[in-house]
Amino acid sequence: MARWGMVIDLDKCVGCQACTVACKEENNVPHGSPQEQIRRREPYWNRVIAVSEGEYPTQRVEFIPMPCMHCDDAPCVTVCPAKATYHREDGIVEQNFRRCIGCRYCMVACPYGVRSFNFKDQDEKEYLRPDLPPTRADREPWPFPQRIRGVVEKCTFCFHRIDQGLREGKKIGIDVVPACVEACPTKARVFGDLDDSKSEVSRLLAIRGGFRLREELGTHPKVYYLHS
Amino acid sequence: MDLTYLPIEGKSRAYRTMVVILGIMVAVLVTSFLVYYLKGMQVWGISNAIPWGQLITLDIYFIGLSAGAIVVSGLSYVLGREEYKPIGRIAIFLGLLIFIGAMVSVLVDLGRLEKFWRLFMYGYLNNMTSMFAINTIWYGGYILLMLVYLWLAIENKTRLAMIIGTIDVLWAIGVHSFTGEIFGLVGAREILHSPIKPFEFIAAALTSGTALLIIVVVAAFKFSNRYIDKKVVLSLGRLLSMIIIVLFVMVFFDKLTHIYVPQRKGTVFLFTGPYWWLFWIFQIGMGIVTPLIILFHPKAGKSIKGVVVASISVAIGVLGERAAVIIPGTANVQQLYPGNIEGVWGAPGIFLITFWETALTLGIVGLVTLLFVLGLKYLPLLPAGAEGEESKPAEATASESEAGSRLHQ
Repeated sequence: MARWGMVIDLDKCVGCQACTVACKEENNVPHGSPQEQIRRREPYWNRVIAVSEGEYPTQRVEFIPMPCMHCDDAPCVTVCPAKATYHREDGIVEQNFRRCIGCRYCMVACPYGVRSFNFKDQDEKEYLRPDLPPTRADREPWPFPQRIRGVVEKCTFCFHRIDQGLREGKKIGIDVVPACVEACPTKARVFGDLDDSKSEVSRLLAIRGGFRLREELGTHPKVYYLHS
Repeated sequence: MDLTYLPIEGKSRAYRTMVVILGIMVAVLVTSFLVYYLKGMQVWGISNAIPWGQLITLDIYFIGLSAGAIVVSGLSYVLGREEYKPIGRIAIFLGLLIFIGAMVSVLVDLGRLEKFWRLFMYGYLNNMTSMFAINTIWYGGYILLMLVYLWLAIENKTRLAMIIGTIDVLWAIGVHSFTGEIFGLVGAREILHSPIKPFEFIAAALTSGTALLIIVVVAAFKFSNRYIDKKVVLSLGRLLSMIIIVLFVMVFFDKLTHIYVPQRKGTVFLFTGPYWWLFWIFQIGMGIVTPLIILFHPKAGKSIKGVVVASISVAIGVLGERAAVIIPGTANVQQLYPGNIEGVWGAPGIFLITFWETALTLGIVGLVTLLFVLGLKYLPLLPAGAEGEESKPAEATASESEAGSRLHQ
């Protein structure tokens, strides 16, 4: 079984947020109003944070794109009381909206703040997307053309693309990649099988040596970063 | 000492007004619940940065109060201290009602209330590594134990009440330890993560529970014109001062540990961040310093008024302490990458006090108080007056067994 992971080259990232927008498009994640943005109510499955160090003119700013880290030892999976968050066989941390009771314990436990709560019913004009790609055959939590209020949401590594690609016999990581990887104009993101020594992600990690966020917590994320 | 218990008459004007006001509060509870249920949690103050708000604060506060009240009830039923007997029944009743209030607030706080039954599908649909799932066992058992304990106390089955009471007191301590563990086990949040959290929670529970019991006992006895020995209140006051010192030691060493190690950003945020007042004014000022000054004051500490004022201060202070766990605990920005996170992602979370969330919180408090006031009328909880009123023991026993059987149904 593959173990899907992502490598993000911070040297190539220009902070354009194309991944954030592509993620919203692909997964039907609503765009919030400016008020919701300020009050941190807008759901984000992927975001890009800017981290600065030093003072102008000797300042250095780095952009850190942050999808869900899909930790091997995920605190959210441990704390979820309803088995709504769980590991798939391929290591993807999945969120099943049908099981979620909306207690938000996972949001408190997540060390990366990548989880969003759905505070309201979606606005039909904007977000109703019956044409969304995954079909019911893909996996049980999908499709959700209409969003459910009162559940916690997060990045899925676009598992519907992976499942569809595998069924059609395509090469994951080359022909089929998550939406954020596909949208990146600088090719800063690479997706593939971490257990496959011939995959691009393994090759990059071997020659460049990656690091992961908050490694001291021992969560073993599957999203690696390359130093800029 | 043989005590006869009598329900209050509940026909006075003040009593009726109180019931009406509390009834309005329950109506507010229902309205604000409907508003939240129809519009979603956008009407509340919580956000993705601070996912837990007023209702979870109220929940752990209530669980603490309940555990504290049950432990104090153990003074008379478990340890057999006769002087605490007059307040034994009322302590158990208070513990039960407040715990029901806690369960209402935690259920209402769920995003999808209709799915709460999943928590009880042990091992099949729920995840037993989650503190929430484990706590369903503690909470469910606690309610059952309290019901049995109250019934035994009302039926005057002292020996059985002692056995069940002992189990219930230990169970209450378990309930609150595991409630503390909900927060203590979160390794990702510096302010929450602490192995001492369960003990700190128990100490806080005992202080707030004792304080609330003092307030309620003095108020209930005063308004129902019944007699209570001043010594009982004063000794509860002394007990309160001792537990406050224990609580202070817990908080002091917890914060000392967190600020001593180089990773002290979270604690510095708690001390000096936008929510400093929750910690310094409520938790330390009103929860620890003020009551200790009053209780150790040679005059104020020996008067009922002084003890009650100290108790009110503790009750508010511990509520602030619970808020100081939840709100700054999650508002603190997690250090994702070395450096300064720019923009909205690097700003501490903002918690707004919104109308509907506050109305819901106050409504739950109103519901618990209403049930308590009605309980005083329909259940024999308060001892029947002073020595002068001993003339009607037969009547008292009759009404007592009647009320007891009513509860039994």
